[in-house]
Amino acid sequence: MSTVVEMLNVTKTFGEGSSIVKALDGVDIRIEKGEFVAIVGASGSGKSTMMNLIGCLDRPTAGLVKVAGEDLSELNDKKLTSLRNLAIGFVFQSFFLLPKTDALDNVATPLFYRGVPAKEARKKAMEMLTKLGMADRHTHQSTQLSGGQQQRVAIARALVTEPSLILADEPTGALDSNTGKQVMDLFEGLNREGITIVLITHDLDIAKRAKRRITLKDGKIINDERDVA
Amino acid sequence: MNILIAARLAFSRIIATKTRSGLTMLGIIIGVMSLIALVSVAQGATSGIQDQFKGLGARNLNITGTTNQSLTTDDVKEIEKLSGIEIVTETVSGRVTLSSNEASTRAQIIGVDQNYKTVVDPDIFVGSFLPDVTNASDARLIVLSTTLASDLKLDAYSIGSSIAVGSTEFTIVGILDDADGFGTRGTAYIPLETAFKYVAVPPYLSSITVQTTSEEIVPEVTTNLTALLKARHNITGEREADFVITDASQLLDAIGTVQQFLSLLLGGIASISLVVGGIGIMNIMLVSVRERTREIGIRRAIGAQQSQILTQFLIEAIVLSLVGGIIGVIIGEVVAYFLAQLGQWNFALSPTMILASLGFSMFVGVVFGVWPARTASKLKPVEALRFE
Ligand SMILES: Nc1ncnc2c1ncn2[C@@H]1O[C@H](COP(=O)(O)OP(=O)(O)OP(=O)(O)O)[C@@H](O)[C@H]1O
Ligand SMILES: [Mg+2]
Repeated sequence: MSTVVEMLNVTKTFGEGSSIVKALDGVDIRIEKGEFVAIVGASGSGKSTMMNLIGCLDRPTAGLVKVAGEDLSELNDKKLTSLRNLAIGFVFQSFFLLPKTDALDNVATPLFYRGVPAKEARKKAMEMLTKLGMADRHTHQSTQLSGGQQQRVAIARALVTEPSLILADEPTGALDSNTGKQVMDLFEGLNREGITIVLITHDLDIAKRAKRRITLKDGKIINDERDVA
Repeated sequence: MNILIAARLAFSRIIATKTRSGLTMLGIIIGVMSLIALVSVAQGATSGIQDQFKGLGARNLNITGTTNQSLTTDDVKEIEKLSGIEIVTETVSGRVTLSSNEASTRAQIIGVDQNYKTVVDPDIFVGSFLPDVTNASDARLIVLSTTLASDLKLDAYSIGSSIAVGSTEFTIVGILDDADGFGTRGTAYIPLETAFKYVAVPPYLSSITVQTTSEEIVPEVTTNLTALLKARHNITGEREADFVITDASQLLDAIGTVQQFLSLLLGGIASISLVVGGIGIMNIMLVSVRERTREIGIRRAIGAQQSQILTQFLIEAIVLSLVGGIIGVIIGEVVAYFLAQLGQWNFALSPTMILASLGFSMFVGVVFGVWPARTASKLKPVEALRFE
């Protein structure tokens, strides 16, 4: 098994002087290919901070973060951006589809940024929308889709680049419980296909459906448990 | 991301926000429109004058006195002896009151000799120019410009009728066509000898026009004329001559300079409004970047490089200014066309001017688009994503 994410003694602080906040405080984790991990913890425990690091959106204050074998502190903005594009598929709580853009181009956009020719990018995007059952909605813009449909498009966008890792921050947070369940079914299915998933949630029922749960408290990992296979 | 996709994105964005885009472009549209219209006015108006001067003849030299008593009929006799001279014509002028039965007006009256017709070749609207009256002692004949004729409430049937010059009756023999005569509006012509009797004091002339045998010898003849007249007028050393010699080329040069100056002046004024239009674009783009912070964050998260965000916003600014420029060119040319009809000069599309305007508006887009685009590209992904 190859390691997708590795964190060694990672610290992330915000602010300075007396108002300094330690959002992460000496975190060590390894996430291997094919894992389905839920990161749980109370509000303010450091979940989003951790997700920003794993998602190559930010660099640690101290310690080592490796994503897909790359040490983040050694990368400039350009390389960090490329790494995000290549290795990470993001799924956000409020979907974050691009405005004034149809579903097809929303899904194709990460490929556009990678330099894939438009025609080929749209072909791949269409395949991915088909896989997620959204093919008939490919001309719809986000305003014309329901929450669950928007999240499916967002998941298609995350998958289209064939990333090492799907990173989802509260993906069911804005959905009703039934639609939320469907999205979780989708994630479980994807994980069975071998796709690595890291999911952030404070909903323990959702967390139970992952195969591993990491619990954060005040920036520290207080629990890390796996389902016995 | 290739430029095409960025351009398409910019276009669909501009179409999606029609009203705002239109208002943003308005500054550029007005700027380019006034640039095109004003410069075409400057060029159209002056090129009309230029054409008229060209018609005046490149072989002609005009000598005017700087005082009322600089040039005399004796000067003319000596000038005629110089080599390279085809024909010489002399004029005197004065201001008089002309009265018809119905109206009266002050006018410039010019006394011309029999050579005037050959040298200047005036265009006749109706009747004829003054006949050769060299030997008649008191030929009270007059030719009026159209403007003057209408000021006096005369028409084409007035040929042969009489009007009063001061208190003397003159017979109208012709009316000039003012349309392409330069400086003839409001002017009347009478024979030279007659003029010496009623409006001017002999032997003093107001101008002498010399036609040379060829265009090439104009500078040489000018030199000789200057020497001759200086000697005759006892002007030595550094003393300033009491006459001025001009030829068509000088006039054409002068008009060319005026044309350039006018174009620059009017173009400069219009350019200022174009720059103001650019600031409008910058303003809206900055607002747009703020509003779209979240979108920028999403794009950065899914792999847009800073340079790709920069390109997207820069192209949007350029498309705004360029589309504004194109609309401005179209409206500007239409306005220029109607102004040309109004001012009676030739309307011509100038490709250089059109390309320059479009180039300038694009340049404005780049200059004023860079700052907002840079602002957008420098947003930190994490913070942009969290932006509400
Ligand atoms: N940009 C920032 N500037 C200052 N403090 C920050 C910043 N980002 C996070 N923090 C602080 O770091 C700590 C961890 O925040 P984080 O957003 O990671 O929590 P979280 O576990 O995601 O909480 P929630 O469940 O409410 O989303 C908090 O105390 C927060 O105030
Ligand atoms: Mg959070």
